[in-house]
Amino acid sequence: MSNKKVLLEVRNLEVNFKKAGQVVSAVAGLNFDIYEGETLGLVGESGCGKSTTGRALMRIVEPTNGTIVLDGKELTSMKGRELRQERTKMQMIFQDPISSLNPRRRVKDIVAEPLDCWGSAEGDERDRIVFDLLNRVGIDPAIYGNRYARQFSGGQCQRISIARSLAMRPKMLICDEMVSALDVSIQAQILNLLEDLKEEYGLTLLFIAHDLAVVKNVSDRVAVMYLGKMCEIGPSDLMYDAPAHPYTKFLLSAALEANPDSIQDNEVLSGEPPSPLNPPSGCRFRTRCPFATELCASQEPLLTEVTPGHSVACHYPLTTVKA
Amino acid sequence: MSSSPILVVKNLTTTFITGRGRLPAVGGVSFELNADETLGIVGESGSGKTVLSRTIMGLQPRSNVELGGSVQLLGHEIVHASEDELRTIWGTEVSMVFQDPMTSLNPVMTIGKQISESLRVRLGMSKADAKVRAIDLLKLVGIPSAEERYDAYPTQLSGGMRQRVVIAIALSCSPQLLLADEPTTGLDVTIQAQILNLIEELKSKEKMAVILVTHDLGVVATRTDRIIVMYAGRIVEMGRTRDVFFNHRMPYTRALLESTPKVSNPSHTRLITIPGRPPDLYNLDGGCAFAPRCAYATDQCRQEAPSLQEANSDGHLFACWNPLPVGTSPLNQQNSNEPNGASNEQ
Repeated sequence: MSNKKVLLEVRNLEVNFKKAGQVVSAVAGLNFDIYEGETLGLVGESGCGKSTTGRALMRIVEPTNGTIVLDGKELTSMKGRELRQERTKMQMIFQDPISSLNPRRRVKDIVAEPLDCWGSAEGDERDRIVFDLLNRVGIDPAIYGNRYARQFSGGQCQRISIARSLAMRPKMLICDEMVSALDVSIQAQILNLLEDLKEEYGLTLLFIAHDLAVVKNVSDRVAVMYLGKMCEIGPSDLMYDAPAHPYTKFLLSAALEANPDSIQDNEVLSGEPPSPLNPPSGCRFRTRCPFATELCASQEPLLTEVTPGHSVACHYPLTTVKA
Repeated sequence: MSSSPILVVKNLTTTFITGRGRLPAVGGVSFELNADETLGIVGESGSGKTVLSRTIMGLQPRSNVELGGSVQLLGHEIVHASEDELRTIWGTEVSMVFQDPMTSLNPVMTIGKQISESLRVRLGMSKADAKVRAIDLLKLVGIPSAEERYDAYPTQLSGGMRQRVVIAIALSCSPQLLLADEPTTGLDVTIQAQILNLIEELKSKEKMAVILVTHDLGVVATRTDRIIVMYAGRIVEMGRTRDVFFNHRMPYTRALLESTPKVSNPSHTRLITIPGRPPDLYNLDGGCAFAPRCAYATDQCRQEAPSLQEANSDGHLFACWNPLPVGTSPLNQQNSNEPNGASNEQ
């Protein structure tokens, strides 16, 4: 990975929310790079901070600390128009396809909105771009272009969202649970479409989701988060075969495979994540980890490379030798 | 099929009368369920799986609905039963766990009170006895420090804990049948595994039959005895779980399996998709509802709906004019590479 160009560099990203005088540390110091042309999957359970991370990168929520460098430009210190201009390089697709589109606007206007905002295309050229984008995502612009967003199903709305996100020719897409509200047959269509568009438009993706199978399907590398911290990051095939962090292993063994012969791991992770209002000392996973020792309580494990490109934050990483 | 069935559903139809016309949400469903069985009902949104399970409970709306056929539950006829009649079997004979544990619990009533309510109303327990039993139930479903949690409100609990409370309420009057409609859909994977294990454990402890309604083939793969696959309000395939996964004959069952991403596949595996969208139930024509999306569809499929036919004597049925050849399941190929791939044992 070393010869690849880093498109997004995130250092020490922190997001704190204040709630009734208390501080919720939703994202607690993330460091990662996303290389040009790759898909980084971000998984974790609800409340682990994966969505907040995506939103903080877009500065939809303000990072409390840290730096975000996109294509050589630092975003956290930018303001106003400069930020908005820079941010067109990075677009976001949200979980709920229906509520992320204005129900009272026509599809072609929704897709054209970014162009209108920036005045980057007008008249015939604008119409042509919208026509091409809608065609490309499988919505026939001649038939559906003038319809309202409320007349579409979830899968179609997600296609329209994708078309809108591509209007400014972004370098990067942040997809936050973009297929989790869809039926499997529609989900597969959208995932294949995303893979095709990534090639065609030379996109780099941050794919945030809780479904491990979906994330593996689209990702080159996967990062696992727990309670605001990164546990593990590495190449997806390698990490799914030989997870080094106990939490990753438990997540994988809890994933249900659509095969009656799949081995049902009886090692189900007990308990629930602790409150981010009062996270455990040391390693945040230690309260649920069967291997935790005193060291885990007193000292926070740092993200350390175990094999090239595969890093884990654990004092006792699982052996990476396959059985 | 040795023990006698506790649930017999015969040619059940549920039709909603709406402003747009008649919506046949369930269009002629027949099956039986034995006392010790776990049955999975699988389908995508709009397949009728939720309406089917609600009709079995007698929970369909009271107006603008037409019901046909029959649902016999332990000798009680559910279709057209009055609410008073239904009240005698809700809780004690059949209970339901819904998808969203927040909306199925009363937010302004403590969870303890919600559990003891059913005990007092259905079983006529005294307040003190009901409290003792409610705390036992909270322990049974794995809620830590049950005595203190008895006085907690639903908002003070996590999603997984709330679903445990809903299960405790469902089990409070020892039903013979538990209907679980997407019980883990909003939950995280590690919590989902806990809840599914809990249902499985309680099933054998309390000797109930379970119907697990889900869109997720992963949920039913290892936890059910039999599976029903629904499409557009009808059963398109039904059989023992292994038969449905390894010897399915209906192209829709295969398509559902193939379009599900799998953790065991390498990354960037191209998914096989089902083209098109689920059918518009208002405008079903006479043919097979899956025909417009099916790669094997012929003129016959578009004109005439196939009825269920037997694939084997074990109750494996499918509805298709051009069934897939036996033993061509994608899972067979996948498993043949593994030493313990026991997929062809039937």
